[in-house]
Amino acid sequence: MAKRSQRFLWPALAIPSFLWLALFLAIPFYVVLCIAFGQVDPIFRTSIPAWNPLDWRFDQIAITLDRIFGANNFYLPPITRTITYVVTAVIVSLIIAFPVAYFTARYAGKRKGLVLVLLVAPFWISYMMRMLAWVNLLQTDGLVNSVISLGGLLPLEVNWLSGKPYTVVMGLIYGYVPYMILPLFAALDRISPSLLEAARDLGASGFDVFRRVVIPMSIPGIAAGMLLVALPMMGDYFTSDLLSGSPDTSMIGNLINGTIQTPGQSGQAAALLLLVLLVLAAPMILYTRTVARSETRS
Amino acid sequence: MALAACARADSSTPAGTAGSGAPSLQIASPTNPVKWPINPGNEAIASGLSPEKDAVLRLYNYADYLDPGIIKSFEEKYADTGVKVELSTFNDTLEALAKIRSGAVPFDVYFPSYDQIGKLVLANLVRPLQHSYIPNIANVYPEFLNPFYDMEWQYTTPYTLYTTGIGWRTDRVTEDIAARPNPYDVFWDPQYQEHIAVLDDYREVIGMTLLRNGGTDVNTGDDALLAAVRDALLQMNEKTQPRVTITGYTDLPEGRLDLSQAWSGDLINAVSYLPEGTDPSILRYWFPKDGAGVVNNDTMVSLKGGQNPVLSHLFINHVMDAKQAMNNFAFTGYQPPQVSITPEQLVSDGFIPPNLTEAVVLPGYFDAGYRLLELPPDTEAKYLAIWQQFKAGA
Repeated sequence: MAKRSQRFLWPALAIPSFLWLALFLAIPFYVVLCIAFGQVDPIFRTSIPAWNPLDWRFDQIAITLDRIFGANNFYLPPITRTITYVVTAVIVSLIIAFPVAYFTARYAGKRKGLVLVLLVAPFWISYMMRMLAWVNLLQTDGLVNSVISLGGLLPLEVNWLSGKPYTVVMGLIYGYVPYMILPLFAALDRISPSLLEAARDLGASGFDVFRRVVIPMSIPGIAAGMLLVALPMMGDYFTSDLLSGSPDTSMIGNLINGTIQTPGQSGQAAALLLLVLLVLAAPMILYTRTVARSETRS
Repeated sequence: MALAACARADSSTPAGTAGSGAPSLQIASPTNPVKWPINPGNEAIASGLSPEKDAVLRLYNYADYLDPGIIKSFEEKYADTGVKVELSTFNDTLEALAKIRSGAVPFDVYFPSYDQIGKLVLANLVRPLQHSYIPNIANVYPEFLNPFYDMEWQYTTPYTLYTTGIGWRTDRVTEDIAARPNPYDVFWDPQYQEHIAVLDDYREVIGMTLLRNGGTDVNTGDDALLAAVRDALLQMNEKTQPRVTITGYTDLPEGRLDLSQAWSGDLINAVSYLPEGTDPSILRYWFPKDGAGVVNNDTMVSLKGGQNPVLSHLFINHVMDAKQAMNNFAFTGYQPPQVSITPEQLVSDGFIPPNLTEAVVLPGYFDAGYRLLELPPDTEAKYLAIWQQFKAGA
């Protein structure tokens, strides 16, 4: 009897999360599909979702694909721009995050907890608020300009907020770098100091230890960190909205956001969303599979 | 809701080939004024009804576009009914129309631009006005008793007037924009690169570009003209990388912008956003002297989905009270069409600084100016496609 009730207990415990996923992932996703494959009201130009898959039409998908690959492919610039921004931001984030995580894991000693708390501290404030703070700091007469011009001594005045790609990339890095630090820290913290000592005992120089022991052992952390920052960056739109506001730095997120709000174009927005999802699903699946494999191995 | 349901049913046929039974959108224009039908079952309320008791009157408007003092004075005036006013805001009217159509919130009073009236009537979303509740209509310009977009003001009363022009700061921009042969060219002038913005409004930007290209029809559906607009807008992106925003009324005074496409009310409003110690005389506004620019007005309507038709009427009347209208002008910067306002007086009374005289809307502008009219759906789709391409930064 006890055994039997246990057999039902564990699946029963999974019900809440299953319901959660169904309500907030599966159903909304189906709505997106129905809009992408649906039609447009001829007068109000709102979307008419096709709830029955037999009624699905591919007009909106065709329009979207044509605008990416066709003659007038104006969806392509924001896509390539997004990829450039995200790749740059991820690489710089890694360069910034690795030493921080390494220091915290190896040398912070008793203060490890404190350092971690300080690193996560900015997250107590919402992303939007932090970006708005940057808007203030980066104004032409803001703090950043008065610091780099030494209080107005040097004739330096950078107009940071006027559609500069580097401001947007910087915003992305600032916004997401803690997501990179935490998995890196977890990976580096797990490397047993005895392994490093063993390498030194066998004659490896400090650099060799880093290159041949630390780096290979932190690869899962690097991969996780890169994925964790790259995924939200790909869909980000308000960093560009707040720190630039210029079409010149429009990312895929901006394109989707603007398209959703435009009458008659929500089907294209849904189609774009599906495409982004398909593209992002590949590295995600790859990652979960390698993690699963390495877990079973260990 | 019958017509709305009908629109829905018919739209299951592919767009553009809708059957003859489909309701079509009537386009009102100064040369084709429209008297909207009163849909059966949607007659105006009787006169002399007493206001609803302990009601929540729900307003739906742009942010910063209604003086909170008006709400307070209305609640005080009708305190015996126990009315509470609740203001919800939207970012753009496309979003607003979608929400009203969904019927999720029973909004009572809405403040649309006149190019939405056709859709609102077609979908049976507005209530005809019972004129006996609105004696303050006598306070506004007489042309609004019979505007082309709603003959005999069956559904609307006017809210504010505005022109669309260019605002700039003389401490950052040394040339006199108004002295240019074609002032709209500034948006393509690389010297203002990165310090310039256009309005985040597809009709205003495309309309401005049509005028800049020498056109006089800001509602055209002509493919060649629209293709020229698209090319010009992509060129603008390349040459000046403008920001696209409707927050110019704070960005300009706070120094984030030197120059911006602007609504006249934005510049008047901008004075109050200047950092302390900044001289308000640095602000300028340009609108064609002969009035041949974009001139528009917003309106107030009582929504059919609202639960308080009597209070809606009373509120609309309250806003048109001469004193309330002036308070609202002071708060929003947007001029009400009150006959008691004489433009010269606004400046001499110190209500508007003399350097912003051009931001005053003169009644004559409505004869010479261009109006952004409701567009037929296929033309609207063309405009939106251009806008999407512009915003994508292609």
